[in-house]
Amino acid sequence: MPELFSHTGVFIDLGSQKARVERVGRDISLACLGGRGMGMHFLGMSPRIDALDPESPLVFATGPLTGTRIPSSGRMEISAFSPLTDTVCSCSVGGGLALQMKKAGIDIIHVKGRACRQCMIMIRDGEVTFEDAPPEEDLPLSAFFERLKPLGASAAAVGSAAFKGCRYASILVDSSFASGRGGLGLVMASKNLKALAVRGSGSSRRQALDREAEETARRDIIRLFDASPFIMGRSGISAYGTSALVDLMASYRMMPTANFRRTFFEGYRAFSGPVIREQYRPRPSACPGCPIACKQKSGIEIPEYETLSHFGALNENDDLAAIIESNRLCNEAGIDTISAASTIACLAEIRQERYTGQSLVDRVRSILGDHREAELLRMGSARMARELGEPEKAMSVKGLELPAYDPRGAYGMALAYGTSTRGGCHLRAYPIAHEILRKPVATDRFSFAGKARIIKIAEDLGVVIDSIGACKFAFLAASLEEYARGLSAVTGLPYGTQDLMRIGDDIYAMERHINSQRGFTRKNDMLPERFYKEPGSSVPGIDIPPIDRGEYEEALDRYYRVRGCNPDGTLSDERRKGLGTCFVR
Amino acid sequence: MLRQINKYLGKLTAHGLISNPGDAQFYGLDDEIYSNRDRIPEVVRALFDDLNINSLLIARPEPLRWAIIGELIRKRPETISPSDSESLTFIHDIPVIRSFDAREIAGALSRRKGCIVEGLGIVTAGSVALEQAFIVFSSICFATFVKYFADMLSALSGAEGSPEPSPEEIAACRGYLSRIAMNPMTPPLPGSLPTGETEIVSAMDAAGKTVVAAGLVDSFFGNISAREGDHIYISQTGSSLDELEGHIDRTAMDGSSTCEITSSSELCAHVRIYELTGNRIIIHGHPRFSVIMSMAGGRLAFGDTRHIGGVPVVAGEVGAGARGLVHTLPEAIKEHQAAIVSGHGTFVASDTSFHDAFVRLASIEEMCFHLCIKAVNP
Repeated sequence: MPELFSHTGVFIDLGSQKARVERVGRDISLACLGGRGMGMHFLGMSPRIDALDPESPLVFATGPLTGTRIPSSGRMEISAFSPLTDTVCSCSVGGGLALQMKKAGIDIIHVKGRACRQCMIMIRDGEVTFEDAPPEEDLPLSAFFERLKPLGASAAAVGSAAFKGCRYASILVDSSFASGRGGLGLVMASKNLKALAVRGSGSSRRQALDREAEETARRDIIRLFDASPFIMGRSGISAYGTSALVDLMASYRMMPTANFRRTFFEGYRAFSGPVIREQYRPRPSACPGCPIACKQKSGIEIPEYETLSHFGALNENDDLAAIIESNRLCNEAGIDTISAASTIACLAEIRQERYTGQSLVDRVRSILGDHREAELLRMGSARMARELGEPEKAMSVKGLELPAYDPRGAYGMALAYGTSTRGGCHLRAYPIAHEILRKPVATDRFSFAGKARIIKIAEDLGVVIDSIGACKFAFLAASLEEYARGLSAVTGLPYGTQDLMRIGDDIYAMERHINSQRGFTRKNDMLPERFYKEPGSSVPGIDIPPIDRGEYEEALDRYYRVRGCNPDGTLSDERRKGLGTCFVR
Repeated sequence: MLRQINKYLGKLTAHGLISNPGDAQFYGLDDEIYSNRDRIPEVVRALFDDLNINSLLIARPEPLRWAIIGELIRKRPETISPSDSESLTFIHDIPVIRSFDAREIAGALSRRKGCIVEGLGIVTAGSVALEQAFIVFSSICFATFVKYFADMLSALSGAEGSPEPSPEEIAACRGYLSRIAMNPMTPPLPGSLPTGETEIVSAMDAAGKTVVAAGLVDSFFGNISAREGDHIYISQTGSSLDELEGHIDRTAMDGSSTCEITSSSELCAHVRIYELTGNRIIIHGHPRFSVIMSMAGGRLAFGDTRHIGGVPVVAGEVGAGARGLVHTLPEAIKEHQAAIVSGHGTFVASDTSFHDAFVRLASIEEMCFHLCIKAVNP
């Protein structure tokens, strides 16, 4: 077994403040790859545990490509059960933590238990120490990360929102990189863990077993990046970050507006990429080893497309400064911007309000308040709308607020929101790639034909990407073909794309199976009623009708057959028996 | 699904890639397998079981292309490495396997998007749409055709590392060239500049169909644009030039809207050409002999220029990277309203009409075809 493909884990019990370093069995390493696969392996050991139970695991896992020369592969995955959705949840996150873990000789950090008071875990190479967290309750995360700087470490931390019980609290890595969705920050806070910092003294560069093949794979991937208008084009994400999507989504009439009551916002240009460039002159910023550099900074953090669109169109706000301030408030407190924006938009609809720029910022700030409304807001839109007696106003699937692609404008996206194992998420299958961005080829965005299998395959691919530590944007230019070659060069194992896709299929099926054991069935794979009843904002040449419920259900039936599920969405006995060895208990 | 299958079978035939639709087996899988064949062979079922794909194409190219592939695989290579830059970028290399065995094919398709099966044909797959299998099939046909003649010219010129071809090999090459016809009949294009969105889009659509019908571009490569005032109409990335309706972006010359993110990967080069010249129309095709002749004479260094019959040849990769053709092509195209990017394809421009641009593209290809014949018959 090549050394590069044997995972070393640090297992930490916060209750007893003890840690042990242990190699993970080679079969598990091979079956899980790393990252998300490894996270699911540990979640699968206690499939019914409550997300906030002290024994519930919180897993940080790198991928086998971390620290290699394969481009855009320095990401890692944070996994736990979600206190927002109660599903499995894992988030891909950039920043330097994955690389520091590799330098420290660590692939996995597994945390369970609950400390008796707020603490920080410091890992220097293999040595684990526990330190008290700063006493200030409302310390902004940027200030907290400043304090960590002298350590020379990379860190993941939660903010004040998590300790106030916000169910969509995020975990921030190195101040700028969010593990946003699903409220994993609340899981971390429930363990009384403020931060996890890692410093390694090993080499920052992992040597591939076949360096020539690694270089060939690297070159092939870079050539494809250069050929991609989405990545390296003059309006690509390398030039504008994901704000490049604002104009496009508006022109496709699928920008969720006014809590999804419309799909076009007249004021969208106020937060489009060219306007941001003109007003803020941002510079590109990147995760370590990534030539794409899709983040944008200009003294302040420029929000991602989802955040721009949701603090903008979803809340009918065309005040860019208010969007940027709302984003800053969320980052300082450790709050998922998509869920925050969607939750306040939901409240605005229930209360029949419309925000100005300032009142939007005030409402975001109020999430951290001590009053009843703040408690409601911190629940997330689904719980809040239920509490207020209008559950249909929550635009979420399985409790996870939908991001900024209206499903009435892309039917593959609609199906993928439904089948996503962590709730309404665009990234699990990212059908925007073919339905809008035409990669690898264009598909008809207003048709469910063929989408069941396309979504299933894309979900499996997404698992692989998240498990090897790569970035999903890279796959809008390159493909698994090139990354499989890179992985083979790095590990010495002869991976073909299909070997990896089988692993992806296995892990995704396992995620679905764990969710089933937590009570999730077909009814949880349905979209909010609004999408079956209300049309979007049509314009001559682009008709945005409601989604035909019958067609959606037929597509769901086909998806279940392709995925190996029963008609109720649970995994069939036959498929369950076939799950990978790492999950056999 | 069946409608899509028939569409691509029609395109394979119309593009001259296969002799007739019966030479191809096309399979598409959603929750069941659809095909142009009544019976689904076991090997196909096994492949769908084994691979995470939703389309599979098994077809024998038309006789000339298949004979040329036969020449390439005669020495039993495990893979064929294309020599043109587009194929290198998108398909890298082509595995060659010896039998129609599910396990062997699955192995090859696990490494690459398509493979050649000796004695059978080309097998390609896709995981999103049937179009992918069609595109890869077409790309393999293009890559093998170009490689065969480029290698032959290289060998005949005595290039280092190229074994001298035998008299039989040279005779075979001459025979293949004698079977190729230039200038297929194509419908005439408007002889004036189109104006207004409707007219421009319609003219681009017609020009795209003509370029494909003339065999000057394969698969989903190539792009077309027209400038009107401060805007450019340009084919979208990954669009087929014979199906441009609904796949043309209108984008601002100054990049003031990012909607162009779905435009052709060569948008920057088109913009730069329009900025440098008074041209109003650009067509980019991948004419086979223009690509072949652009590689004759050895590797062209980035920044260098040579000429074929007065047409400049420059180096440059696809897109806007550091070594992208955006840095070399626009200057080169200024004088002759045409330039060939070595190992890639031809760009032609016009300030008068699509007809003018198309004629230039076709005549450069014809010139290159005759130069190729001359090189093989010194």
